[in-house]
Amino acid sequence: METMETYPIQVGSVTRRVPLHEPFPGVRIPLVDFLGDVEFVRAVAQELLPKLPEEAEILMTAETSSIPLTHEMAAARGMNYIVARKRRRPYMVDPIIQEVESLTLGAGEVLWLDRRHAERLLNKNVVLVMDVVASGGTMKALERMVSRAGGKVVGRMAGFHQGDLKLDIVTVAELPQL
Amino acid sequence: MAMKSYPIEIGGVRRELPVVQVGDGVSVALLNLLGDTELTEAVAAEMAKRLPEEVEVLVTPEVKAVPLAHALSRVSGLPYIVARKTAKPYMINPVTREVLSITTGKPQLLVLDGADIARIRGKKVAIVDDVVSTGSTLKGLRELIESVGGNVAAVLAVFTEGTPRDDVISLGHLPLFKPEEE
Repeated sequence: METMETYPIQVGSVTRRVPLHEPFPGVRIPLVDFLGDVEFVRAVAQELLPKLPEEAEILMTAETSSIPLTHEMAAARGMNYIVARKRRRPYMVDPIIQEVESLTLGAGEVLWLDRRHAERLLNKNVVLVMDVVASGGTMKALERMVSRAGGKVVGRMAGFHQGDLKLDIVTVAELPQL
Repeated sequence: MAMKSYPIEIGGVRRELPVVQVGDGVSVALLNLLGDTELTEAVAAEMAKRLPEEVEVLVTPEVKAVPLAHALSRVSGLPYIVARKTAKPYMINPVTREVLSITTGKPQLLVLDGADIARIRGKKVAIVDDVVSTGSTLKGLRELIESVGGNVAAVLAVFTEGTPRDDVISLGHLPLFKPEEE
């Protein structure tokens, strides 16, 4: 069997040898997985929490892989968070619907936010949280959702980023293209 | 018009669940763990007390129970694995099963990454979910886990819904509502 190539990622005292994913021929990126890894998520949260803006009142993210990190950070600060969904749910009432601009995907992804949750963003200082930021399209879409819901984005945080950051985002480390 | 709600309490945390119509002639009390850290942590603490000692790994279906599985994993020290709704391009030899979603009426995939299968095979697994209603997701997930050699030793849910069932370790039960009762 072929030995899978891995890449070492260290956060605090936690090291993971993550697999490399080849999205396009000749481009390989380390594949960080926050789902199912409590120890790693907690290490990333510990790095980000000291930089969480003090005025933050609620966190916001999009499903699915960023949920554990957002939960961990929110729980540590006694805060709640809002999750934008990638599909319409049957119980949603008057949802905010936001298209994600993407350079790599032809068909635009759409984020959905139930009005009941959107109302919790009104007049709130919101920090956006994601596991990995690449083009920043999802984060920009979240920012527009917060704005449309009457909230104010006071910070953007992510575990890792790939490529140049076009937005002002606090991250723990960059994931290189190999 | 005041919206109808249904009161719950878990580990001293109280919530009024909104009662919403999800189909022809049926409304449900909507439990939302996504974003509710206080309730999620209270549920995890109560579930950990009821988790059978033999369990070695937790498996949860994407999406709504993901923060609960994360918190229960932290509290119990057991690893957790997420069964995804779609196969991802980076997955290695994923295994899938189709279930019929009761809330959308559409076929729904459950997908395990091949990399996670080695962590399930030969292990005593607890399925962790938020609400078990008709049990269609549960049935599909159980079959998926058993098809890769896992042994489903327990099913834990925050609530059972509709018909009470004794094959699920739950913290409570939710009734179904008729829309005209709203």
